[in-house]
Amino acid sequence: MMVWDILTGAGRMAWSDFRFLQYNFIPVVVSTLITPLLYFLAFGYGLGKDVVIGDVDYIAYVIPGIIALSTVTSCFMLTAHKIQVQRVFYASFDEVLLCPITYPSIFLGKTAVGLFKGFLCGTILCIMGVLMSPDFHVTFGLIAMMALSSLTFSLLGVLAAFATNAITTMNVFNSLVIIPMTFLCGTLFPVESLPTAAQYAVDILPLTHVSECMRACALGYDFPWISSAVVIGFAALFYTIAWLYLKKGKV
Amino acid sequence: MEMTVKTKNDMNDVPDSDDENIVTAECLSKEFGNFTAVRSIDLRVKEGNIYGLLGPNGAGKTTTIRMLTTLLTPTTGKITIAGCKLPAEIAEARRSIGVVQQQMSLDRDLTVADNIFQHGIQHRMSFKEVRERSKTVAESLGLMPFYKKKVDDLSGGWKRKTAIACSLVHRPRILFLDEPTAGLDTQSRYMLWDLVRYLRDTGTTIFITTHYIEEAENLCDRVAIMNKGKVVAEGAPAELCNQLGEFTVEYNGNDHKRIYRYFRDKQSAKIFSDTLTDALSVSVRPICLEDFFLEKTGRIEFKAGNGDDTI
Repeated sequence: MMVWDILTGAGRMAWSDFRFLQYNFIPVVVSTLITPLLYFLAFGYGLGKDVVIGDVDYIAYVIPGIIALSTVTSCFMLTAHKIQVQRVFYASFDEVLLCPITYPSIFLGKTAVGLFKGFLCGTILCIMGVLMSPDFHVTFGLIAMMALSSLTFSLLGVLAAFATNAITTMNVFNSLVIIPMTFLCGTLFPVESLPTAAQYAVDILPLTHVSECMRACALGYDFPWISSAVVIGFAALFYTIAWLYLKKGKV
Repeated sequence: MEMTVKTKNDMNDVPDSDDENIVTAECLSKEFGNFTAVRSIDLRVKEGNIYGLLGPNGAGKTTTIRMLTTLLTPTTGKITIAGCKLPAEIAEARRSIGVVQQQMSLDRDLTVADNIFQHGIQHRMSFKEVRERSKTVAESLGLMPFYKKKVDDLSGGWKRKTAIACSLVHRPRILFLDEPTAGLDTQSRYMLWDLVRYLRDTGTTIFITTHYIEEAENLCDRVAIMNKGKVVAEGAPAELCNQLGEFTVEYNGNDHKRIYRYFRDKQSAKIFSDTLTDALSVSVRPICLEDFFLEKTGRIEFKAGNGDDTI
């Protein structure tokens, strides 16, 4: 009963975000897919045409990385942007707080649109990946990791939107955290190529673990259980901090 | 007979029992670090009334309304909303209230219909019920011509009406309006005043904050005046005005400073005004709530500087 209440509450919470997506579906999807397509062309067919990493072509190596970076950035950006606009510019997030709906429903509802967008983006890129490389496989593990990473980074989006009160602060967060993470966390090249100190630094970032998990699932490597546990840990951490923001009335 | 202004703080002459009061706040305070925004105020709002909370900018009105609407936790004090004690019965209390905030809280990317619908479903109404109720509310507020329009395309007055429609969709017993006419043109203000009276007459209690005194005088059954976080006066607008007297003599002294004197009757006011032969201008007029408000909250004198420059 409680789970049903949380799920129905989340659905009610997510309704307006999906309505927005319905009105803006094509621009949202096109803007999401342009960057990964450019990555495919520039890194897959341009720079990495004759490169082999381990036992696979670079294109097969880079597809899971691009899927990882595209899903996480697209769900982070949409979730953070929607909530920040509702909080700071429209002041409509107060209406959410005034409703008789529980915190888990608020979190699940507000991450739902990010989850959907991340999943949609990942699915399209998976189809393209299958067409581009015979070494790339869509597996249940890959789909599960897409869902988990989308949830984790949507929660990060919720947290970032709760913690920042200005677009400029959000831009700084993007420039200092999200963009470096998308390039350095084992998405486009192996983490081992970085200097040792940088390897330690990227090892504590969640996208590194998402990339490792997705690559293992798509290319048939041993699944890094520890990395998947780290991603779950990050999701729990982001949820807890965002929950504290709500609980202490700082939103 | 010249009148003096009472200065004592406790002018709450509301002996009503708590059964009649739909909103009660006792010893309500809010501190933000070292700053005290609201200092131990008491409020009682009778069911079916329009209750106004007045005060200059920074008086603590918005902080008070945010505490009463469960958006802020008080540092000290007790709040009861429609019989529900906060914070213990917060979910029940939230079902009884509708809130229109100063910034209107609308999703401007969506249509009027979407916004009203969204509010309804967030208040756990069934989809069928909220669909019917949205149309009823929109029709009664005259919003049907704009029902499918994006909120962003509406004028300020219609946006405000949309916000009120949203706040009414779940049938609240109390509607909180925070500065509802701020920034609106005269036509839109009058339209909203009519709407507020209509809502009161159809059984909704209205709690309104404003710094437009004329608005409070026209609309409210009772008002509380806040200044620097405290309630400095409370009562019906006519009762409050009566504390000063019936007539004001307003005149400019030689130093251009405006001076006000209050009298119980017109004759006394006239006699006094006739003695002001040196005054630059003199007028005798009935006392209004604005006079009382300014006596309670203080006037800010304009100083043009030392002299040679003109503005």
